[in-house]
Amino acid sequence: MTLRRGLLIIGLLTPGLGLILALIGTVVYIAVSQSFGFYSLNGISEFSTEFWSKMVGRKIFKRSIQYSIYIGVLSAIFSVALAYPLAIWLRKPFAGSNLIGAILKAPLLVHGLVAAFLFVNVISYHGILNQFMQWLGIWSEPRRLQNDPNAYSVLILQTWKNMPFALLLLTGAVQSISDDVLDAARDLGAGKWDRFRRVIAPLTISSMQAAMVIIFIGAVADFSFQVIAGPTNKQSLSQLMVSFKGRGDWHSAAVVGVSLMMIALVGSAILAAVARIIMRGRIK
Amino acid sequence: MLKTLIASTMLLASTATSFAGDLSSMSWDDIVTQAKEEGKVTWYVWYLRDDFRRAVKTFEEEYGISVTIPEGTAAGNSEKMLAERDRETGDIDVLAWGTDGFQTVELAPLFSSLSILPKDDGRVVELAGFDGGDHVVAFWGNQTGIAYDPAHVSADNLPQTPDEFATFWSENPGKFGFNYEKGGSGPSFYQNTLRVVADVDFSNGEVTDQRLESIQPGIDFFNKHAENYVVTASNADSIIRASDGELWMVPAWEDHLAGLQNRGEVRKEIKFYIPEMGMNGGGNGVAIPQNAPNPAAAAVFVNWLTSPETQSMFNRDFGTAPMNTAADDSFALVPNEQRAFRQVWGAQPFRGEVEAMFIDNVILER
Amino acid sequence: MTMEQLNKILLISLLLICAIWLIIPFTMAVLWSLVDPSEPWTADKVLPPVISLYRWVDMWENSSLKSALIASYTLAPSAAILSLLLAMPTSFALGRLKFPGRELAKMLCLLPLVVPAFITAIFFTSLLYQLGLSSWRPGAILFAHAVLFMPFAIRIMTVSFEQVRQDHIDAARNLGASHWARFKVAYLPALKPGIFATLLIVFIQSIEEFAIAFIVGSPDIVTIPTLLYAALGQDYVRPNAAVLSLILVVPNVILMLILERLLRSANPTLSSGKG
Repeated sequence: MTLRRGLLIIGLLTPGLGLILALIGTVVYIAVSQSFGFYSLNGISEFSTEFWSKMVGRKIFKRSIQYSIYIGVLSAIFSVALAYPLAIWLRKPFAGSNLIGAILKAPLLVHGLVAAFLFVNVISYHGILNQFMQWLGIWSEPRRLQNDPNAYSVLILQTWKNMPFALLLLTGAVQSISDDVLDAARDLGAGKWDRFRRVIAPLTISSMQAAMVIIFIGAVADFSFQVIAGPTNKQSLSQLMVSFKGRGDWHSAAVVGVSLMMIALVGSAILAAVARIIMRGRIK
Repeated sequence: MLKTLIASTMLLASTATSFAGDLSSMSWDDIVTQAKEEGKVTWYVWYLRDDFRRAVKTFEEEYGISVTIPEGTAAGNSEKMLAERDRETGDIDVLAWGTDGFQTVELAPLFSSLSILPKDDGRVVELAGFDGGDHVVAFWGNQTGIAYDPAHVSADNLPQTPDEFATFWSENPGKFGFNYEKGGSGPSFYQNTLRVVADVDFSNGEVTDQRLESIQPGIDFFNKHAENYVVTASNADSIIRASDGELWMVPAWEDHLAGLQNRGEVRKEIKFYIPEMGMNGGGNGVAIPQNAPNPAAAAVFVNWLTSPETQSMFNRDFGTAPMNTAADDSFALVPNEQRAFRQVWGAQPFRGEVEAMFIDNVILER
Repeated sequence: MTMEQLNKILLISLLLICAIWLIIPFTMAVLWSLVDPSEPWTADKVLPPVISLYRWVDMWENSSLKSALIASYTLAPSAAILSLLLAMPTSFALGRLKFPGRELAKMLCLLPLVVPAFITAIFFTSLLYQLGLSSWRPGAILFAHAVLFMPFAIRIMTVSFEQVRQDHIDAARNLGASHWARFKVAYLPALKPGIFATLLIVFIQSIEEFAIAFIVGSPDIVTIPTLLYAALGQDYVRPNAAVLSLILVVPNVILMLILERLLRSANPTLSSGKG
């Protein structure tokens, strides 16, 4: 690689990646230092691995990691799995496809907090869902659906909010596949599933990966859905982090925060690679 | 450039020791004059903002200083204060925060000394086990207790001790709910229950393995009855569900409950009492950040806020416990006999460890 | 069964699902927003006992709603555009040029997304103050949002740049087109969906972002999330929250329809007849 090309690359990367590294990189550096005892807001700043060693032994830490990853992975998979068939269906315009497209993407524009409260309102003890089920005679008395222990509420909310985002990305990708390729595949006898598996999937893999990565990172760090609608016997990593901060234990909060960052980055990379393998049958 | 960035942000770790102007050398009259020149004060408080905007009109008329109360949240306000600590001049003149919150930071580097205020022995500086020292003064007293639905729970039969609560739980499973985070009402309930069942002294903040183990009977109590009570998501969630009829008894803050009832969000039938086993009283304080833009006005405002007249007004309008011993407390929501059951929050760091233990051994085991 | 019939069936079933997905929560929100303060709406009544527009009038006149709407709806599009512009060179490099460390660079671009909220809230804003941006508040928030949401822009535009067809570029170059003409003809059609997706996503992220907008903006600039979090926090009153949510939906729906229109026109298969 020539010097000129190298400078060109660096020049191109500066306004984007460069800014990110300079600013956010500094913040990450501060967070990591805080996890090791520096930048204390209520005590002495000195190096210590005590916060990390204590945290790794805590049961709640391991449980929160498992729980957050569970939410992250499932949200990403559900969102993308729902978005694919819809994107393919909407590939070519037909009567009403505009309207459907708009309605499907509507959740993007509803604020997450609002969505969570509307949802809890609907499933609340005397809410409309309970009343409906009782009216139908399926249930004899109201059921407590709020804060369910399997986090279905959180998963539903995450999928509701993120599926349109996946749809947005996949629509663009799916529409860029030329008809010739699909027609050729059909002429050669490939059925619907084969056409998806061998033509559409490999050609849209970049978009799918982008969608999965971004949704995973968002869901793994979820705070508001969890505190409003999530199970009360589990804590997400963000929730755990805030609870440490609320107790004045800034360093442990930083430990959880840094762990969250690592899980988000590494987890998303793994998720993207696994998706690629499944879709393509090979890594590259 | 990166080095400069890191170096300057490292200022965060050093303690800033600038004082709020030269107010410490001025007489109170001069401070009031300067306050009037400054002409405005910004007060960050996270609740009852509409009501406070009405309440401060008296101050505005008396001093001719306009008061701005911006929208915000408890966490947002405190994070803003922390983020601004290295600015020459910040945006916050007076910060209201719970005693819980003030305990999470070191006060001296962040807030000005309040010794410039005229002497008033009636002011409350030590509240709920927290000592504001020179920097924080209490302006709002509140009390946790149990809110109940009289349609389902008779006032003659209110549970007063942990065992009576356990009886209520077994007779009415799923009708009692409390939160363990996002609000202090539930924690007040479970911590006092732990205190009584395990017979442990919460005023001692020392953490030893032995002391933590002695909490075990309390933990067992909660686990034994785990099926019969509900864990809610927050203070607000508990009260809303009680108002909706799903729950019959929930721990609550008396001022929070009264506020929601006044706004038409919660049914007025819901009543409130303090059980004999005791529940915690708390309070909120105000402090003036070192880099307040209008320090004199801030000082005058804090003085007004904590004066007997204003505290009596709060008592009359909001039912809170006045934070000036010279104030009138005849309008409190809870009768004085029950006030005798007021407990102080557990001392730190013991309380924090108990909370962690509760979460680990009760909440996560559900 | 023909494609048409299948489409019709899918359309109807999807509309039914959407009814549950969207219409029911929103009907509830409308009903909640009409609850008069004199009488709370308890569970035993199907409709609120006393209905009035009090909450709507009160919110519109008394809170900082108007200025928040203006602030948020000017900030968000500007942040989206700035983010896009900053991201373009990097996405071009990541999408079309090969260089060692490219995969690492791609991963590092995600950094703003993974930093937890309160760390950004306290330390990133503190950094902004250090950089002296606090004198122009809207600018500081704008810049912060653009940097914070650049990962979306970079990721989406990288994929778009990858999809640009080399033969189109070569053809344009061979025909002697200038740089700008080459860009317009060869790159833009493939980039358009990505550009609109980026603008939409960053817009949405910016309009939902609370911490930085609040810390840097308050008290002079109030954004919609500030009002929302304040209404849904301690002073939690469902009718007020409902009014706020509904007021927020209307401009968003309009924007959605506009964008859907633009996306249709950006569909490369439509514009060229084939992909």
